[in-house]
Amino acid sequence: MGGHLAAALVSPALAGAHGVVGRSDLPIPEWLFGWAAAAVLAVSFVALAVLWPDPKLQEDSWRPKLAGLGRALTSAPAQFVFGAVGVFLFFLTLYAALFGVETATANWAPTFVYVIFWVGLVAVSVVFGDVFRALNPWRAIGRAVAWIAARIAGGSLPDALPYPEKLGRWPAVVGLAGFAWLELVLSTGNDPRTLGIAIIVYSAATFVGMALYGVEAWTRHGEAFSVYFNLFSRISPGEVRGREIGFRRPLSGLPGLDVVPGTIAFIAVMIGSTTFDGAAESPLWADVAPELSDFFQTIGFSPERALELAFTLGLVLAILLVRGFYEMGIRGAKSVGGGFTSKELGRSFAHTLVPIAFAYVAAHYLTLLLYQGQAAWFLASDPLGKGSDLLGTADRAIDYGVIGATNSWYFQVGFVVLGHVAGLILAHDHALALYSKARLAVRSQYWMLAVMVGFTTLALWLLAQVNQ
Amino acid sequence: MILLAHAGHWLVSIAEFLPVLLFVAWLGWITLREKRRGREAAEE
Repeated sequence: MGGHLAAALVSPALAGAHGVVGRSDLPIPEWLFGWAAAAVLAVSFVALAVLWPDPKLQEDSWRPKLAGLGRALTSAPAQFVFGAVGVFLFFLTLYAALFGVETATANWAPTFVYVIFWVGLVAVSVVFGDVFRALNPWRAIGRAVAWIAARIAGGSLPDALPYPEKLGRWPAVVGLAGFAWLELVLSTGNDPRTLGIAIIVYSAATFVGMALYGVEAWTRHGEAFSVYFNLFSRISPGEVRGREIGFRRPLSGLPGLDVVPGTIAFIAVMIGSTTFDGAAESPLWADVAPELSDFFQTIGFSPERALELAFTLGLVLAILLVRGFYEMGIRGAKSVGGGFTSKELGRSFAHTLVPIAFAYVAAHYLTLLLYQGQAAWFLASDPLGKGSDLLGTADRAIDYGVIGATNSWYFQVGFVVLGHVAGLILAHDHALALYSKARLAVRSQYWMLAVMVGFTTLALWLLAQVNQ
Repeated sequence: MILLAHAGHWLVSIAEFLPVLLFVAWLGWITLREKRRGREAAEE
């Protein structure tokens, strides 16, 4: 489907899109890696219980550093330049999508949106912090329009509506789920024209939200990509506050996450969509999808729509599976006592899922980024795919030797294990702060360990499914 | 029908998910044990 863009984009050898091929020289079977990963988590759990007796990540550890650089990077001219870069890339991508060639492999837009933006910026956010906030084209345009409108009005604009508390991150959930649907379900999802229309529709909705509730309020809670990259940036030790750049303990940005309505659903979409992307390449789905499609055809849908409905169902089920799995862990944690409701516990531990979401993205899309990401060099030189060579790099090619199949498998397993250990650390640390008795804190974490082991095994199973 | 027809895939996958199944079984067992102990303590 559309989301398996990479398969079409890259090569038959990467038909599995994000996985690896030819792991014939692994020393042990793939399923044994799953067992080993589960064992690592169990050992980590015991080590945390013994060696981590007090919460360390709950307090604000941010300290300002690099004062001169911080002031320079957060100055108004620098912010203007970052915003302008974001706006330039936005319009370049939109223009290429609408007016470039319709072949996805030869057009800048699909590779930029699905690889550089969607995957590459996740890695940048985890390392450097919330870089997207500075580059966000919608925020930059919204602020510029507000500034110009205020000048024209001869002062200040009317106050924006207060952002409804109940709305929380639900608009962002809709935006993210829509993007996942476009990428993974819609049969024309990697078609540049479809992408261009989607960019226009999403931008219109974003500007309406900003006009109603203000640029910053909408960016913080309603704009799907701001929420997405901000969540990943909380893993990073780097954070900008006001005019200062500072550093904190890695992961310590997550416990402070405001778990407003829709936050858990948002994280479930983050993990669930990646889960479905992997599962859609499994032999199991290859067997089940046609049967579901046949069913939808028998009730009157065209073959194309029927297959899209089957994939939509799969995507929704994957998201619900992730949400249900987390709920199971929370219900289990509640059963050990402590006087907390499921809702309270669910909100308390939601941030622990963010490193898992990163592990899923990193493991699943590693090869996509490393291989297809290289295409940005030659597509930037010929963004419309019409034979130009603006940067002199149009004749570059993708180097498939940049990482071997076996090495990428080890990296993927490493990301999965590290991401889940990070989730375990966050859950343990938060439990110590939440429960009055250390014994209850540890016992509640049996269930979070089960959640982590489950997600780890699922992640490795999904990776193993690719190219079977 | 679909489940039965694809039982082979499910069986292979069970090996990979065995640690999760064992862990959940163990959690279920200790939960039941705690509840039983709680009931016994209440009766005494």
